[in-house]
Amino acid sequence: MATQWIFLWLISSIGCLAADEVITIKDADKLLDVINFTTNIPSSQKLPHFTTCRSPEQETFSCWWSVGDYTNLTGPGMLRVFYKRSFKNTGGEWNECPDYRVGIENECYFNTTYTSIWVPYNLELRSENKDVLYDERSFNVEDIVIPDPPVNLNWTLLNTSQTGLHYDILLRWEAPPTADVAKGWITLIYEVQYRAVNDTEWKVMEHEKESYLSIYGLKTNTIYEIRIRCLQLNFDKFSRFSDIVYVYNFVPVTKESTFPVAFVLIFIVVGVAIVLMLIIFTRQHRLMMLLLPPVPIPKIKGIDPELLKKGKLDELNSILSNQQTYKTEFTNDDLWVEFIELDIDDPDEKLGHSDTHRLLSLEHLKSGKSLSMKDDDSGRASCYEPEIPEMDSLPFNVNLMEGNPEKACVLNSEGTVPNPDLSSPNATQAKAEPEKAKIESSGSEENMPVRPYPLIQTQMSNQSWANMDFYAQVSDITPAGGVLLSPGQQCKSEKTPEKEKPAEAKKYQFAMTSDSAYTSEIDAKKLSAIPATNENDQNPEKDLSKENCISTENQSEESPYTANETTVITMPPVSDYTSVHMVDSQHSLLLNPTAVQTKDMSMQVGYLTPDQMSSIMP
Amino acid sequence: MQKAFFQVSTWFFVLSQTWGTLGYPLECKDEQGSSNRCISIPLDKLFDRVIQHVELISRVSEECCSLFEEMLVPFPLQPKTSRGVNICITKAIPVPGSKSEIQQISDKWLLHSVLMLVQTWIEPLTYLQETLNRYDDVPDALLNKTKWVSDKLPSLEQGIVLLIKKMLQEGFLMTELQQTLTHFNKQPEVLESTLRDYTLFNCFKKDAHKIETILKLLKCRRNHKLSCLLY
Repeated sequence: MATQWIFLWLISSIGCLAADEVITIKDADKLLDVINFTTNIPSSQKLPHFTTCRSPEQETFSCWWSVGDYTNLTGPGMLRVFYKRSFKNTGGEWNECPDYRVGIENECYFNTTYTSIWVPYNLELRSENKDVLYDERSFNVEDIVIPDPPVNLNWTLLNTSQTGLHYDILLRWEAPPTADVAKGWITLIYEVQYRAVNDTEWKVMEHEKESYLSIYGLKTNTIYEIRIRCLQLNFDKFSRFSDIVYVYNFVPVTKESTFPVAFVLIFIVVGVAIVLMLIIFTRQHRLMMLLLPPVPIPKIKGIDPELLKKGKLDELNSILSNQQTYKTEFTNDDLWVEFIELDIDDPDEKLGHSDTHRLLSLEHLKSGKSLSMKDDDSGRASCYEPEIPEMDSLPFNVNLMEGNPEKACVLNSEGTVPNPDLSSPNATQAKAEPEKAKIESSGSEENMPVRPYPLIQTQMSNQSWANMDFYAQVSDITPAGGVLLSPGQQCKSEKTPEKEKPAEAKKYQFAMTSDSAYTSEIDAKKLSAIPATNENDQNPEKDLSKENCISTENQSEESPYTANETTVITMPPVSDYTSVHMVDSQHSLLLNPTAVQTKDMSMQVGYLTPDQMSSIMP
Repeated sequence: MQKAFFQVSTWFFVLSQTWGTLGYPLECKDEQGSSNRCISIPLDKLFDRVIQHVELISRVSEECCSLFEEMLVPFPLQPKTSRGVNICITKAIPVPGSKSEIQQISDKWLLHSVLMLVQTWIEPLTYLQETLNRYDDVPDALLNKTKWVSDKLPSLEQGIVLLIKKMLQEGFLMTELQQTLTHFNKQPEVLESTLRDYTLFNCFKKDAHKIETILKLLKCRRNHKLSCLLY
């Protein structure tokens, strides 16, 4: 209550006096004191306060203060600084500032005796009578260390680049003299900054512990300015920057020096190119071999690479066979095996419409197409008329593929006929040889159209597989499972070779007279007549086979539907579908006629039913 | 008198207990020269190595301090609340704070003080390492650095022991210092745990700087006797 009255009185007095009279300092001071002491109204005026405390070398320190807006306190002694060092556990005693330095700013200086590091200090700024506490600070001296800047910056040129555009310098400086770095009392690290004069930003180098630094890559004919500052190791207060030192390196730019180098290089390159061209074009062989050696090509010892080119396979074969690393026979047989293609539901193969089709499928004949091909053969790719419709219904074809298309009418497949006695293909071939001779002799007499059976001759004469006829008409099957291929001849091939020959020769005669793969009825009769006369005493097996040969021919000539019962019955147990059972050691096919009876077969007219088969087959 | 005797005896006892648990470093019998189980390092290199070690520890401790302060930013911890009272645990080890005073102290005393400082901090740092895990949002850097420092102190201790042996040619002798080791567990529990941890970090930073400065002064004294002793 009283204080409030006093306050109001003061305000009123000030208000009265403010207009004309100057408030004396004393009055103001008193006012301030009153206000501070009596009330807690925060003053909008700036109180005296410590501005900064700093130690330059960790041995002394100073604190500066400012009076703020209280200009009346600028006089000496108006404000007092008290400090306390806390040694050990006991709080020390308060002492007044040992050294008031009156200069531009108010400063309290502590010399070495009053400075202790690692010890907390408390400083207070108080009024003259110690009543008013304006400001206080507490710190450790080592935390307020702000060193002086480094001194004595100088630089020396280390080297200049060959282009004369860049150079390196070695910059040296000294620690601030105040800092006792030598004894290790304080450890300083330095930060160097430099820039070209017209740059805006300084390049900052890494902190350096030593008193020297190399700066690389300065540009010639540019003025650089460098400055350094330092700080205490493991602390964070930087010093002010040192004085700037200017670096300049003048190197006269001689652009001519660059020209000869370029010219020399170009000259050398061009010269080398010209020399190389000369060498290549004048074909100095030795030089070329020296400079551009040929790239080695792959070679096989003993074989001329020319042979590996197209068309010379035979010679290669001969060479290789001589080396006994390669068996042509195997190749032949291999090819035979390869060419057995099971064409299921693939009726598009014209070449596959071999004798098998004629034998087995009767849809052709149904359609009324005559199978008499005797006039049709003119060396075409197929023995058959091209109009022969596709045999879609044939579920199973044994396609003897890919011979020379002209020789599609296989009447003798060399080495592939599985004889009942399992004679080797060589044997058959051997048999064929004398036959061939006969044929040739007989053939020469007649005007044989070579075309339908040219293959026979060629087959006989040439063992090359390329001329082999791969189309064989399966004419019949012997009870033992042998396959008779082609009418007529094949029938003979199974017989004992001695007796066969004359018969065969005659047979062939007849066969050759016709152009078609199938003989006409007349021929067939002739054929049948001939063997009948000669081979009546032969095995019924063979008779049967002959008859089979003939009968099949008959059958082929006539409509299968009109075939007699007898002929059908006496028909050899042809399994029209035979499965290739296996390939024996001589690479001949063993067909297993008994294993093939499928349902499909029964659907084919003209085929033997399974019952018939079983009755017929032994 | 009896009190003094009692004090000295307890101090001997305490010190012996402490030193008895230390792992003494390898004993290179340089003097006999016969059984050299390790390579003896020249004193200069040893000094450099130890000082490098201490500088690194000092830097890491400073980083730990700042990391810890950052972590406590949400909590306006007032480090000044201590009001200048020296509450560090090593206040019992008196090291004068001025260059001149330190230069007047013998090598022996300085080295032993340094050794005691290092030994005193091994246990509190282990405690700090564990207690940091209780804080939320502890930065990994702080944990790693604290762990690193805690692991490095024993090897620093080894280095200083070697230094003592080399410089003073003494084994482990009791010093004549009348000191009492303030065991860490006897710290007043009145301090809040956060404040206590903060104080620990700050005190350790200060002590690391102390060790570094003392060793550097010693090195100078060793190398350039005249110039270093002169003021």
